This record gives sequence, structure tokens and C-alpha cells, in this order.
Amino acid sequence: MNAISIQNINKHFYDPVEFQVLKDISFDVKKGEFVSIIGKSGSGKSTLLYLLSTMDTKYKGNIAINGTQVTGLSQNELAKFRNEQIGFVFQFHFLLPEFTVLDNVMLPALKLNKKSKDEIEAEAIESLYLLGLKGQELKKASKISGGQQQRVAIARALINSPSIIMGDEPTGNLDSKNTNIVFDVFKELAKERGQTIIAVTHDDEFADNCDRIIELSDGKVISQ
Amino acid sequence: MNTNQKIAKVHLTSRFRQLLVAILSVSFGISMYIAMNSFMAGVNNIQTEITFTSMSHIKIYNDLSSTITQISPKPKDSNTILMVNNARNIQYTQGIKNADAIKNELLNMSEINGVALQLNEKVFIRNGVSNTSASLTGIETVNENKLFETAKYIIEGDLSELDKRSDGIILGVGLAQTIGVKTGNTISVTTSEGVSKTFKIIGLLESGSKVRDKTSALITIQTARQLFSKNKSYATDILVNTYDYNNARTVAEKVRKLTDYKVESWQEGNEQLVSSSLLRDILAIAVSLTILIVAGFGIYNIMNMTVNEKIKEIAILKAMGFNGKDVIEIFLTQSVAIGLIGGFVGLFLGNVIVQMLDIVPFKIASYNTLPVVYNIKDYILAFSFGTIITLIAGYLPSRKASKVDPVEILRG
Repeated sequence: MNAISIQNINKHFYDPVEFQVLKDISFDVKKGEFVSIIGKSGSGKSTLLYLLSTMDTKYKGNIAINGTQVTGLSQNELAKFRNEQIGFVFQFHFLLPEFTVLDNVMLPALKLNKKSKDEIEAEAIESLYLLGLKGQELKKASKISGGQQQRVAIARALINSPSIIMGDEPTGNLDSKNTNIVFDVFKELAKERGQTIIAVTHDDEFADNCDRIIELSDGKVISQ
Repeated sequence: MNTNQKIAKVHLTSRFRQLLVAILSVSFGISMYIAMNSFMAGVNNIQTEITFTSMSHIKIYNDLSSTITQISPKPKDSNTILMVNNARNIQYTQGIKNADAIKNELLNMSEINGVALQLNEKVFIRNGVSNTSASLTGIETVNENKLFETAKYIIEGDLSELDKRSDGIILGVGLAQTIGVKTGNTISVTTSEGVSKTFKIIGLLESGSKVRDKTSALITIQTARQLFSKNKSYATDILVNTYDYNNARTVAEKVRKLTDYKVESWQEGNEQLVSSSLLRDILAIAVSLTILIVAGFGIYNIMNMTVNEKIKEIAILKAMGFNGKDVIEIFLTQSVAIGLIGGFVGLFLGNVIVQMLDIVPFKIASYNTLPVVYNIKDYILAFSFGTIITLIAGYLPSRKASKVDPVEILRG
């Protein structure tokens, strides 16, 4: 079974003028694959990622994730689906600044409400330790460094053990040391836990080390 | 506490000053609502109290008929002209002859609290060389006191003394001053028909109304009937009090079926009182609702700012799988919390303000401080209006928050 399967995706922007961003894109991503999407800016790679993330629903074509057809689901169903199946890491870490590091990591799991609070807390602490954030868990999210914040965001993306982790330039804002840490974490997740990772990146070195590169140009897949 | 409420709590507590301002604006609105309405109700009460010290809820009297029937037969054909010169509407009977019978019937009605008969006539009062006109009222002392608490306003002497001596009279203080007499002096009363009788002043009346104190003289109704040579059931006015003065109109309607005499409820005779107390009520409610609505705008503004400030966080929550309903819950919880805390603080504050008004010295009628009323209904209404307005003011920004498109925000 494919982790992601997309067929004939077309997307237009209408504002300020009509413009076709994605042209007839189809590809599959296997389970446990570490895929990076590259392309020049304006090539539509981020747009594609947001379609895959199920947050953007205005497109033509068909997307299936883990065998579930997500095209045509309601916003509420999609929110639930994201909560269970997808973890996000953004270029700008986007933590909730007024919450502690630990709360930030725990929130998606509390929302999912499948485990007890104690279990969630234990898992969150474990995953923060794994990412080298021991001792930071009770600090406010706004009080730690950028690299640490990005790792917290990764811990948050992992908390519900999603089958797919999506990154929008997850290392775009990090120095080379932190980039390596993030990359290694991703690689390990794909190999050891069988989680599928799909990341949009500008970083050629990052991309070269992935299992597979999908390159977009002017809204078309030019190599994969 | 579920996850959404926990987020709401963090949002609220992380900006304490804004929370305080929002709570205070609600409290202020609610407390002003309570204070305004308690005070207005107090003013209205005092107005009615003053009014009913001399006026009954319903008055029955012999009025000149306003419909004039033509007595002479109409001419049979058009060749005859009928001319009546100097036609007059003449009152054939005066006063109420069978007042006791009517009184007994009235007392059988369940809505009626008390009935007092009065005999009112204009007289001359003379003390040596000084004399003045006065309105003499023959009263049933016990019933009169029951209706108007007359005894409370007798500053010298005692109302019950009237029953003990048939030549006793109580004068208004202004009247006594005009003719220069004191308690214990004797005066002579002359009726319009020229009958004179000597009375001994046994008390003075100070009702609070200058006009009344300057003109009125009280004797018992029995003595008055003798003075004016009337039968023993005669009265000019039958005064009726109901249990609830607001019902006077409907009770008057029922009384009309019992008698052909003119039956007048206090509202009919005093339109200005009814409308002024209504106007005060409207004014109080309008002003206090305005204050509450302004407080509502304050909350709307604060919640709107919060939503704009947190728009990235909303987007990230949505990306993590929180749906529109969760977002509404997060923000609505905040405004409900503001509304409830502000509401309770407002109730407390409102009560404190009312208590403070209650001790402000202000001399009016039998009160020495500003009149206020502690009415639980005002508190309930203020609290419900306050929370409803916060709910609406909080819902609009919450709905806006729930419609945030995460893609637009996260892509920048």
C-alpha cells in the first residue's frame, strides 16, 4: 500500500490573475520512504505540500493517504484525519509561545484523546530527551533558542506517531549543526519506525541524502 | 478541564492586564445597571408613597353627569321651532346618600384592602378677627388611618382623640399658622349655609404637602354630618385602597358594576404620575442597557484583538487537527469566563454602590437618605443581560477565528 498516492492534480490561483500552479501531477510515495520535493521558488512545491497536508482543499484531482481517499472529505473530518495521521514541521517553528515546551508537544495527543494524560506526558518527555531537549520541558516555548524550538516542533509532530511527517523547509531556518540533527532524526524515523517523510526543501545537501527526490518546475514533475 | 478549555485558560491568564480590563468593563456595566434600576425603583416608590399619603387608589364620588339629555320633547314637524334659553346642567343630588351600603359591598371584594368614607366641604374658620377658608374633611379615623397612615403625620395630639370628643378638630400646621392658633385653642367653623360651630384644636397635621397643610381641617365624619345636616350614611367621597395599586384600573372597572356614582382609579385622575414613573423606568433601562452594550463592544474589541494576535496559533492548532468547533470553543470559553467573572464582580459591586446610595443623606418625605430598592429581579436581569451580551460579543470574533484558513497564514 502506498503512503501517498496522487493522481492528476491541477491547481489554479485566481487572485490577482488566473494562474495554473500545478499541472497534472501524479506520483506515489511508498511507506517508509524519505522523499524531498525540490524546485525553484514559484515552482509549486509548497503548494503541492499543502495539498498533501489536506489543509488546502481547493484543487482538481485525487489524493489518497494510506489508502484513504481524502479528496472530498469535510473540514472537520480532515482535521481529525490530520490529527491522527500527519505530523507537521514548518520552516518557522510555529510553537504556541505562551505554553511550556512540554504542553506544546502534548497538545496534538491531548486533542486526539486516545491515551491518558500521564502516558502522553511520558511519551512527550521521552521524545524531547531523544531530541536533546532534556531540562527544557517546563520552559515557555518563546524562551528557548530557534534550533531548540525547531526540535520541539519535531517532537510535537511525532507525538501521535503519525504515519506521515511533512516538512515545509524544516531546516530552512537552521544552522548546519541543527540541520544535521533534524536530518538525522528524520532519517532514523523513516528507517526504524517506518514513518513516511515528505519534505519541501531548498537545501541540496539535505535533498541529496534522501531516498528520493521529486523535482518540480513550473508546476510539473520533471524528475522523480 | 478539557484541552480546549486549557488553551483558553492559558490565553486568558497570559495577558492578565487585558483580562482585568475586560472583566472590569463587564462589571462596570452590570453594576451600573443594578445601581440605576435600584435607584429609579426607589424614586418611583417614594413618588407613589407620597402620592398615596393623601390619595386613595380608587375614589367614588358624585360627579356632575357629562352627558346632557334633552328633557323637552322634540318638535313633531319642521314647522315648529323649539328654543331653550339658558339651558343648564344642574346637579340634583349631592354626595352619596347610601355610602354605608356601598362600603359594605366593597369590603366583600377580595381585591380591596380598605375603604374609608369622607365628607369634604369648604368652610370658613374664624379665630377672633382672623379668618380663612379651609377644606373641612369629616373622616372615619380608624379607616382613614388604615388607608393613609394619617396618625404618622399628626405632629401634635393624637388622631384617636377625635373620636373621644365631638368638638375636636385637627388643623394643618400651615392653616393653624395662618389664623394664629395653637393646640388647645378654640375656633369657630362656619359652613357655606351659615351654620356655625365651635371646635377645640386637639392636634396639628403635617403631611409634607404644603397646599394640604395650609387648607385642611379634620373632624370626625359623624360631627361633619351633623354640621351639614346630612343623614347618618352620607359621604361625599368613598375612598378605596386595593392590595396592589397597579391593579386599581381593573378593580375600578369591577366597582363600576356596583354603583352608578363616578368611580375613578388613581391612574385616571393622575396621568402625569403614571407617565412620569414609566418614563423614569424607560430611561433607567435605556441608560443601563447602553452601558452594558458599550461593555459588550469593549469585549468584542478585546476578543477581536486576541484573535488577530493569535491568528498564527489558530492556524497551527488547525494544522494539528483542531477543527472549527474547537477554535470557537477556545475563544468562546474565554469570553464566557470574562462574562461570568465580570458578572459576579458586577453583582457585588452593584450591591455596594446601592448600599452607598442608601446612606447618602437626602431628606425627602419620610426618608432621610436617597431612596433605593433591593430587588432580586434587577440583579438577575443585570447578570443575564451582561452574560448574553458577552456571549454575543465573544461569539463574533470566535466565528471569525474558526474560519481562519491555515494555509494562508502558514504560507505567509
